[in-house]
Amino acid sequence: MKIHRRSFVMTGLTAAGTLGLGAPAVLGQAKPRVVVIGGGAGGATAARYIAKDSQGAIAVTLVEENETYQTCFHSNLFVGGFKTYEEISHRYDALTKNHGITLARARATQIDRDKKEVVLSTGQRLPYDRLVVSPGIDLKYDSVPGWSKEVEEQMPHGWKPGRQTQLIKQRLDAVPNGGTIVMIAPPNPYRCPPGPYERASMFAHVLQQAGKKDAKVIILDPKESFSKQGVFQADWEKRYGSMIEWLGPKVHDGIKSVDPKTNTVVTGFETYKDCAFVNVIPAQMAGEIARSAGLAPAGGYCAIDAATMKSTADPNIFVLGDACIAGDMPKSAFSANSQAKVAAMTIRGELTSARTFPARYVNTCWSLVAPDDTIKVGGRYEPKDGKIAATETFVSKPGESAELRKENQAENMGWYAGITADMFS
Amino acid sequence: MPSASPVPTWFGSVATALALSGGPASAAGDKALGEYLSSECSSCHQSSGRQVGGIPAIIGHPADQFVALMITYRDKQRDNQVMQTIAGRLSQEEIEALAAYYESLKPSR
Repeated sequence: MKIHRRSFVMTGLTAAGTLGLGAPAVLGQAKPRVVVIGGGAGGATAARYIAKDSQGAIAVTLVEENETYQTCFHSNLFVGGFKTYEEISHRYDALTKNHGITLARARATQIDRDKKEVVLSTGQRLPYDRLVVSPGIDLKYDSVPGWSKEVEEQMPHGWKPGRQTQLIKQRLDAVPNGGTIVMIAPPNPYRCPPGPYERASMFAHVLQQAGKKDAKVIILDPKESFSKQGVFQADWEKRYGSMIEWLGPKVHDGIKSVDPKTNTVVTGFETYKDCAFVNVIPAQMAGEIARSAGLAPAGGYCAIDAATMKSTADPNIFVLGDACIAGDMPKSAFSANSQAKVAAMTIRGELTSARTFPARYVNTCWSLVAPDDTIKVGGRYEPKDGKIAATETFVSKPGESAELRKENQAENMGWYAGITADMFS
Repeated sequence: MPSASPVPTWFGSVATALALSGGPASAAGDKALGEYLSSECSSCHQSSGRQVGGIPAIIGHPADQFVALMITYRDKQRDNQVMQTIAGRLSQEEIEALAAYYESLKPSR
């Protein structure tokens, strides 16, 4: 029956194409079907916009294993004590209630691209006319010698939301005065470029607030430089004195190994023994479902068409957010949310002949350095020469007024309310 | 908790913006184009019309005020890097389209 219906839609598409009719897939009785894998900033936004703007003309199923979603964005504010865990937790109920989206509470285990079906952990198969893949990242557990999935609770990463985020806070709160936190920062490209450095700021803030003035935060970075580096480092010195120390690869001479049993980190230059807390943020790649479907042939991330967010490997599949190669756009929730709208528009255009417009993208990343002291980086982007290219960018500068930094933080809080409403309401 | 207010303060300075832009603009924008462009705005601004934190309410305002304000951002006469960047790529037609779309919306209570 399902095969028959799909065949009918395909026939409709062909007929519409031949006759030049306006509404290909709705010619048949069956609604066109869109399946979305992943309920984060890319997937939830795409599902919501396709369902909302097609007003019931497209059947949308969102595949998401978790009942609640903890945002990675603003998880540093939870770590710093500026937000509760509940405030970074969201449910999918409104997407079903307000927009008729079907929620499949399961894990997508396989994409059968020939049959155009998604196989779920429950054994169910979901046929699709278009598929949105937005699985976020997976961690490269072998990228730091001595570290592995088995020891991710002893040396937490906190780079996928949920229990790991809570572990980071618990471990931070337990650091004694005089204790040393070592953060191993990730190599490019990774989720949330300013994230490790905002987190280090929150570490220092919590230690300072608790009167643990002799504690240290040491960042061992495999990169020569990092996002908003000048302004972060100027602000660290101003706010936290020498509490935060950033060491690039020329100084530490490589991260050689970690030992979770003794909380030791060995670099080419020094051995850090008996650390109070080691935060390992490893190298990253696209979520497993995208890689196993052959959407990430090289480099661990998925190539997309800059004008549509379509996978270059399959014209029926769109890849969003951290899993894709988005040119000049950083891997951020704001980017994923922006990309989702281009994909949703393209999909509605293809399935219901809705009007489409040229793709445009936007991103801003706010980072809280200290109370009421927030810096930001952002830009706008357009397809150019086959990639998503920045057309204008901005970044905060050292020495800006306290008033501006406070305004930035108010903007940051308002943005969070805005984007989560745009994803979940 | 972020403060929520149905009364935006952001448009309070629109009289100044209007003066800077040389008077009221046409409200006859392309609403469908405006709706598409508005998806960029809704990454931050609430579609319910509430002001939350430092993100002002932008719906239900007269189109000419909206156009005037966006032009002051586009021309960098008004500070805010995010808004300057976003408005900087909008054509007159696009600003009018956005204005027409947002004027047509009513704040929800």
